[in-house]
Amino acid sequence: MAREKNEATGEWLHAGKSATSMYGNFFYWLFREPFPIRQLGNQIVLVMLDAVAVCTVTAVVIGLILAWTAGWNGMKFSVVNWSGAATVYLLLSEAVTMFGGLIFAAKIGTAFTVEIGSMQLSGQLDALRLMAVEPVQHIVIPRVLASVICLVFLNMISQGAAIVAAMVAVRWWFDVSFTIFLQHVFQILRYPILTNSYIRSAIMAFFVSINACGLGFYFNGGAVELGRTTTKSIVLNFIFVISIDCLYGVMDQLTGWSSI
Amino acid sequence: MIRISDLVFAFPARSVLRDLSLTIQESLTTVVIGASGIGKSVLLKCITGLLDPQSGSITIDGDEVVRAERKDLLRIRRKTGMLFQEGALFDSMTVFENVAFPLSYHKMYSTAEIQRKVQAYLDLVGMEEYAHAMPRELSGGMKRKVAVARAMILEPRYLLYDEPTAGLDPSSSAIIEAMIMRLQAERYITSLVVTHDIDLTRYIADRIALLEDGHIVALMTREEAFREGSPVYEHFIENREKIRQEKVSEGQ
Repeated sequence: MAREKNEATGEWLHAGKSATSMYGNFFYWLFREPFPIRQLGNQIVLVMLDAVAVCTVTAVVIGLILAWTAGWNGMKFSVVNWSGAATVYLLLSEAVTMFGGLIFAAKIGTAFTVEIGSMQLSGQLDALRLMAVEPVQHIVIPRVLASVICLVFLNMISQGAAIVAAMVAVRWWFDVSFTIFLQHVFQILRYPILTNSYIRSAIMAFFVSINACGLGFYFNGGAVELGRTTTKSIVLNFIFVISIDCLYGVMDQLTGWSSI
Repeated sequence: MIRISDLVFAFPARSVLRDLSLTIQESLTTVVIGASGIGKSVLLKCITGLLDPQSGSITIDGDEVVRAERKDLLRIRRKTGMLFQEGALFDSMTVFENVAFPLSYHKMYSTAEIQRKVQAYLDLVGMEEYAHAMPRELSGGMKRKVAVARAMILEPRYLLYDEPTAGLDPSSSAIIEAMIMRLQAERYITSLVVTHDIDLTRYIADRIALLEDGHIVALMTREEAFREGSPVYEHFIENREKIRQEKVSEGQ
């Protein structure tokens, strides 16, 4: 039992060390020639194609759930006309960004860990080194930068989809017209709410992708260990997404940056 | 010439190479033979600078590999090509793109020139028909042939093979053996092969080094190695026969 506990602790320490090492390596190689522009383009296309459907569907479902909750409670307090605005505020300031980050960590983060881990396992990373190609530059940097760019765009798409879902839902369930919905939404909507959510998405994408790539890159072992490393990647990245969201929210409250 | 002197390498929990010394002669095929898990692949990774030994020296044409600066290491690595155990082809690229990758990444030639060179190397290893196939569509032997073409495209002086026939059926092994022989005969490439395959060794080796307990215990020509009473003969042929007979009699 004690041995298993020690092993588990050791594995987590290794995971932490792997992710940490990758931060240093990323910045070391980011400013060195050649910049992997072609790989970056490829990764943007791959990440967008891979994540757009699942992020949009999740956002639509969240939009529907929040619209139902807000409309139901709005009816109780006779402010049902404001339920659309309340839903949109929650969606833009919190829900879409955080759930988008979690979905991104689960879908793209794990894909990076498994892909790079398999490359390490099969000797592809060593093969790159022997061809005088630095794997961090060729493999990691395009994935991290593509993640940052894509998650911001995915967030925009998801927000749009969630708002449309909420608008249709409150019209359908609570008879709030589109005009009233939009009037109230524009009354409460402030520019910093949107910029805040995009900045938060970019920060989440940066940490999620570096952690995921680092765990794959410094992976050591066989198929079983790769499975465990993938689980660690999800858990670690979920913790990061929730923590970033929390810290950013606290800082936002303290500075009053996006207060309405 | 590759010269290895007093090489020591250990993983945190296990010592692997102990005072290993070996010289790889130019234009010959040297086979390092030893049991599984004895450190043959580690030796290749030390030679290519992928692993840092604790002490000792490795020189390739007089350039020190151990603790070399990154830019020196890149220059030294250009002299060597390596065939990994499973080929290590890039899954997301076609056969053609895999072989072309080192040239296109370093922008060494024009697109037409790269096309011509890749075609020539695929012809050399007999894989020209599969230029547009993905690695997942190839057998183990085919993957290794493509990996050899990729390793050779930068025209290295030394080619290192890590278990080139491991996991292959006899006919695929024979094709790989013949390819190694042909490259040696036509291009005078200095080859270092690590393997535990005694049949491969018998076929391709000019010199045979027996790796045991972390160091080279015997270095001899093929004729000497396969003579009755030699350490290689005792270890890999007599011993194999003895174990086989013991198992048969246990079964009976």
